[in-house]
Amino acid sequence: MEKYRGLSPAEFFHRNREMAGFSNPVRALYQTVRELVENALDATETHGILPDIKVEIELVEGRENWVRVTVADNGIGIPLTEVPNVFGRVFYGSKYVIRQTRGTFGLGGKMAVLHAQITTAQPFYVKSSTMDSPAVYEYRLYIDISRNIPHIVGFRLKRKGRSKWHGTVVSLVTEGAWNLARRRIDEYIRRTALIAPYATIVYRTPEGEVVYERASKKLPEPPQVGKHHPRGVDIEILKNLIRSLSEDMPLKDFLRKYFESVGEKSAIDFLKWANLDPETPVKSLRIKDLERLANAMKRYEKWRRPRPVTLSPLGAELLKEGAKRILEPEFVEAVTRQPASYGGHPFIVEAAIAYGGKIEPQNSPLLLRFANRMPLLYDEGADVSRKIVDSIDWSVYKVKFPAPLAVITHVCSTKLPFKSVGKEAIADVPEVERELEIAVREVARKLRLYLSKMEKLHEVKRKELTIKRYIPEVSRSLSYVTGIEEAVLRRKLEELLEKEIKKRGVVANAPVIQAA
Amino acid sequence: MPRSSKQRKGGAVAPSDAEVLSRLEALGKKVADQILQGKPPYLEIPVRTLSNTVWDEKRKILVLGPRKARREFFDIGESKKFMQTVLMLSLIVRARREGDYPTIRDLYYTGKHTIHYRDLHGRRRSEETWNDQRESNAVIQDIEVATGLLREHMGIMHDAKGKIVGNVVIRSKGYEIDLSRMGSGAYAVPPNVDRLEILRVDADYVLVVEKDAIFERLNEEEFWRKHNCILITGKGQPDRSTRRMVRRLWEEFGLPVYILTDADSYGFYIYSVYRSGSISLSYESERLATPEARFLGVSVSDIERYKIPRNYIIKATDRDIKRAKELMNYPWFRESKEWMKELKLFIRKKEKVEIEALSGHGFKFLSHTYIPEKLQKGEWIV
Repeated sequence: MEKYRGLSPAEFFHRNREMAGFSNPVRALYQTVRELVENALDATETHGILPDIKVEIELVEGRENWVRVTVADNGIGIPLTEVPNVFGRVFYGSKYVIRQTRGTFGLGGKMAVLHAQITTAQPFYVKSSTMDSPAVYEYRLYIDISRNIPHIVGFRLKRKGRSKWHGTVVSLVTEGAWNLARRRIDEYIRRTALIAPYATIVYRTPEGEVVYERASKKLPEPPQVGKHHPRGVDIEILKNLIRSLSEDMPLKDFLRKYFESVGEKSAIDFLKWANLDPETPVKSLRIKDLERLANAMKRYEKWRRPRPVTLSPLGAELLKEGAKRILEPEFVEAVTRQPASYGGHPFIVEAAIAYGGKIEPQNSPLLLRFANRMPLLYDEGADVSRKIVDSIDWSVYKVKFPAPLAVITHVCSTKLPFKSVGKEAIADVPEVERELEIAVREVARKLRLYLSKMEKLHEVKRKELTIKRYIPEVSRSLSYVTGIEEAVLRRKLEELLEKEIKKRGVVANAPVIQAA
Repeated sequence: MPRSSKQRKGGAVAPSDAEVLSRLEALGKKVADQILQGKPPYLEIPVRTLSNTVWDEKRKILVLGPRKARREFFDIGESKKFMQTVLMLSLIVRARREGDYPTIRDLYYTGKHTIHYRDLHGRRRSEETWNDQRESNAVIQDIEVATGLLREHMGIMHDAKGKIVGNVVIRSKGYEIDLSRMGSGAYAVPPNVDRLEILRVDADYVLVVEKDAIFERLNEEEFWRKHNCILITGKGQPDRSTRRMVRRLWEEFGLPVYILTDADSYGFYIYSVYRSGSISLSYESERLATPEARFLGVSVSDIERYKIPRNYIIKATDRDIKRAKELMNYPWFRESKEWMKELKLFIRKKEKVEIEALSGHGFKFLSHTYIPEKLQKGEWIV
């Protein structure tokens, strides 16, 4: 006889860990660092705090492929009683709202914790303190996988005293292939420093310490919590919304109050179009009615576009700062596009181009992709940005390969159109593709202006040098033929050349003249 | 034909050494003056391209047209050539001042050295004043047209390969040389023909043969003595001194000039060079071309007329045909009905023969029958 039983969420993810990016020891280590760093950033910048983040990687002696990962931030901290649940319980958190967040699965560090526990069987360590808490508290925890509850094995409480410290430190021992993952993780930290130029990141590894000092004290506007856009709903969302209503209301009011960009008039227009009675009390709607409603909401074409308040782009200035700090180019230009939407989800595209300086010349543009201020490192070939960058004829923008050219793209959205469960590549959704291409071409045009200017300057300089190097020969020859002193001719020629360069910069080609 | 001692009819006189030097110096002075007056220096050089050559109908030669180009030192594209031109000018002036006679290759080596400089990025770089002889030769030609002097006037030598034999007495470096007393040999035409004096000429015509081997054969038979002519060869494509020699005998002594080449487009082209000069060096034709030179043979129609045996006939290549078509565009061929007929025949029949093909009728056929008969019947083409 078959036995049937429910699977706890923790157990489900334990069994399907490749879905969350923990498929092998290389990827798992990368993913661990990534989840913890992104939590750290979300705990700081989203709340108006300039991030100070420490990332430490240590190899555990005597244990092959055991790596201790410690990430510390100066964020808002986690309330004393929430700590075990936040880390010890899958699907528990504050990210299940409509706004742009980094965490890809709403799992935050939990998948990392789960993976650590499965592979090394070591408890993980959390230290935290909120701003108003008088104490700093430390936990050593396990997750009870089958019951999806935290299990506390150690706890300490210390008065803060004079220190005003707040933030969170997470430390865990996990199985990972540091040697193989190292370059990816280095690159991940580097790119995070690019997209978060307002963060100071101390990155310590067995190989040494790198400090990325913050390049700006300006934080981007944090995203606000928004409402669902009518085009982005499904039956589950409708059901949950209606269930949470404390009192019943007519359908038209429900639409107006609980959905983005819907007013009295647009609600009635829509319901008329959908053949639904605006006065129907929502709680009386049955599953069938909800299905009809959801379908109509998706198909209706006259909804206003979602407002982008739920999004938080970096802004052109900060993007430039970030690119300067990491790539040290001679030229950088960035653009933030106007908000747009696809299928009811608002999104904003940003792009930057960096050229020259410390960027190594390559045969195709170096591409740095970001989504919701997270670097995307894997699956570049499948990403829509790569497709766009490769389809552009760069010679139009005066770029000749090999060229020291880097293209940075950043897509922000409440729902990123990822190509696969790996969540490392943005799919080629036409609306997003179009915006990206416009953005990249816009900064590329600025690059062309810069390159033409440089070209002209170089041209003039080159001309001057070319002519200058023949002056000694010409003076010597003419001096011999005419008996005029060589030094006189030379000085005079140098003066003339300088005058000529100043006057015209460029000497026109000699015209053919008719003899008299 | 009666033997007669030809009198000098005159002709262009080569400029004196002093004149040559002062013209060269004047070119340099013009540039130096521009510099001292605070003007961007330039050289004015007649354009040496096909588009700037003019067919002089009356004199039947190609001459340089009126177009001149400014070679500005401060024009990036011309700067190096400007430097090369004044460098070459100084080398030639030095040779004249010191009485040296360098060859064009000597000048190439004397002027070739390395210029060191730093580029835009401050890297050390170097560059040769010129990379090969074509570059130094080109500026010699520029100086020739800019000053109106030929390189021979400027005392520049080249490998002379012409040979001459016949009843002519010349004086060179004070020695009188009788060109009829060379035995089995011949007098080698020197590079600067204008520096020798032609004292006496006792001949009825000049016979120019394309090939050295035919020249040797005719000389061995003393053809020139029997037929009272002057025999010359330029060994294929003639150099300037051979052409100048032919030109002087025609111009100064009024001798008719006959040219004997293979019957193919290459032979016809050689005739064309003796007669009118090459297109790229049209500025020389005034001193080097012999516009009345007559083409004695071997003509395409001779193949039929002299019944040349089939085994001597060679099939013309595509290149021969292409060349013949080009020749049809040369003004001096285009205005000659007979030449057009010959060239069309050549293109149609696609057959060529060498002079040696005449030996099909015996080794003496050329000297005993062909040449005298053609001269007598007036079967030449102009």
